[in-house]
Amino acid sequence: MHIPENYLSPSTCAVATVAMVPIWATAVRKVRESVPREKMPLLGVAAAFCFLSMMFNIPLPGGTTGHAVCGTLIAILFGPWSAVIAVSIALAIQAVFFGDGGILALGANCLNMAFVLPFVGYAVYGWLKGHLGGERGEVLAAGIGSYVGLNAAALCAALEFGIQPLLFTDAAGNALYCPYPISVAVPAMLLGHLTVAGLAEAGFTMGILSFLRNTVPSFGIEGKESDDKAVPALALVGALIAATPLGLLATGDAWGEWGLEDLAQMVGYEPAGMATGWEWNSLMPDYAIGSLPEWIGYILSAVIGAALLIIIFRLLAGMAKPEVNFD
Amino acid sequence: MCEPQDYAPLPDRDGFVTRSILSMSSVLARLRLDDGAETRLSPSAPAKLVGTIVLIMLTSLARNYLFVLIMLAAVLVRAAFLPRHALARTAATASAAALVALVLMLPAALLGQPRSAITLATKALVTTGLAMEVALTTPSAQLTGALRAFLVPNVVILTVDLALRSIVRLGEAALEVLTALQLRSVGRNTNKQGSMGGVGGVVLVKAARAAQDTSDAMRCRGFEGSYDLQATWRPRLSDALWASMLVAVIALFIVLQRQV
Repeated sequence: MHIPENYLSPSTCAVATVAMVPIWATAVRKVRESVPREKMPLLGVAAAFCFLSMMFNIPLPGGTTGHAVCGTLIAILFGPWSAVIAVSIALAIQAVFFGDGGILALGANCLNMAFVLPFVGYAVYGWLKGHLGGERGEVLAAGIGSYVGLNAAALCAALEFGIQPLLFTDAAGNALYCPYPISVAVPAMLLGHLTVAGLAEAGFTMGILSFLRNTVPSFGIEGKESDDKAVPALALVGALIAATPLGLLATGDAWGEWGLEDLAQMVGYEPAGMATGWEWNSLMPDYAIGSLPEWIGYILSAVIGAALLIIIFRLLAGMAKPEVNFD
Repeated sequence: MCEPQDYAPLPDRDGFVTRSILSMSSVLARLRLDDGAETRLSPSAPAKLVGTIVLIMLTSLARNYLFVLIMLAAVLVRAAFLPRHALARTAATASAAALVALVLMLPAALLGQPRSAITLATKALVTTGLAMEVALTTPSAQLTGALRAFLVPNVVILTVDLALRSIVRLGEAALEVLTALQLRSVGRNTNKQGSMGGVGGVVLVKAARAAQDTSDAMRCRGFEGSYDLQATWRPRLSDALWASMLVAVIALFIVLQRQV
């Protein structure tokens, strides 16, 4: 679901980024008001879960792949505004360091995965939790919420892909950017996400949430304990890092994430805007290092990404003013 | 006493005293000797110092970018578990070093070699991060003592050791005198500038006294300024783990260097 560079026109990217600016600003204000300073490192661990879950590629019908996001999980644990910040930073690290998702398309990717996904997922979770009740009901509500949230995000991404050939074509009528119209993009994206990827998202969310509720009940905004009690959560991060090469079992690209040559073979021409577009040279493109085995690059990327997220959120906690009540 | 009193202090210029206090406090905060904290898994200071210098050299010499990335991952994981203040200082210093390296290499990037700029910046980040992590997780007295492992002369170690301690002790004394001056100047004091000379004088007298006290203390304890590493260094289990990790890293370095 990571929209790569040049699949969307620069103006679409600009609109999405401008739309995200007030959302990011509100999220920063809300997180500063609602998340205690000592809970910020835990938010970093949750963002690491999100980063790692996005590395597990799952084969989808039609020969493409998909992945979980775990945005709803962070929304459940720390609130939807915290999920906006956590998923946005995870997406930025993926784009800058690993070339997963475009730099120009970061605003659009954040709109889909850091805003639509956690808010829709959290709303469905909140509504269902009230009706189902109980601990198992909460986990089930989280699963269904994350399933709906992921599909809502996939629908948004498909619409962003689909409006490109409607708005941007050359004199010959060929698309300048993503060549697939809404009638192709929406069914293609939703087929995979309604079946396999959505279930994977629900499985990830329910599994991690049950684990955390049983081993670290204080993990989340409501618990009173600080980050030194998060050892089981860090152990789970370690286990996920070790298991990331499983994401390599799924061969093929995700829908809408093909290279330019592959796309040209599929549609019969190179969209002009994509061929001449700007591209960022990331540190480890596609989580790979030169000619070395892919699994080494995958594990190394997982370690670097997870450690970076924990460091960033611990530094943010240090920058936050301590709350002192003089009354 | 029941009458309300309108007291408005006369305008007074005491900005330089406040600035002196603030700069002194910030220097002291950076030099606090109790900053380093050891954990159960920490190797002894000499082992840590030798190992870190080897790792810094290997990172600098590496031609294979994978080795630099592996070291980057190790530095980041260690940094993620540092105490908050140590993490903030490590992140600030290491990212500043990487930024300077990136700016220095900007011409290379503009001439079509962005890879070398990124490699050098990553190396600067890793080596500075390694040095900061060791400095901030080892008590500085142990760190200066560990310099004996590199056959640094005793007199150099003693000088460094005493200088570090004196800066903190005398800094605290200067801070007290400055605070006293500020308190005495409540209201209007036109003679503050003249008192600044007194601050320096008091610190100098205290320094002379402290030097005499140190000399007496050394004589009482039978310490004549020689740091005997063999007498004080007790190898730990963590040293063996650290050494085996170091051997593995050197082996990895050799293997990866051959692949270039």
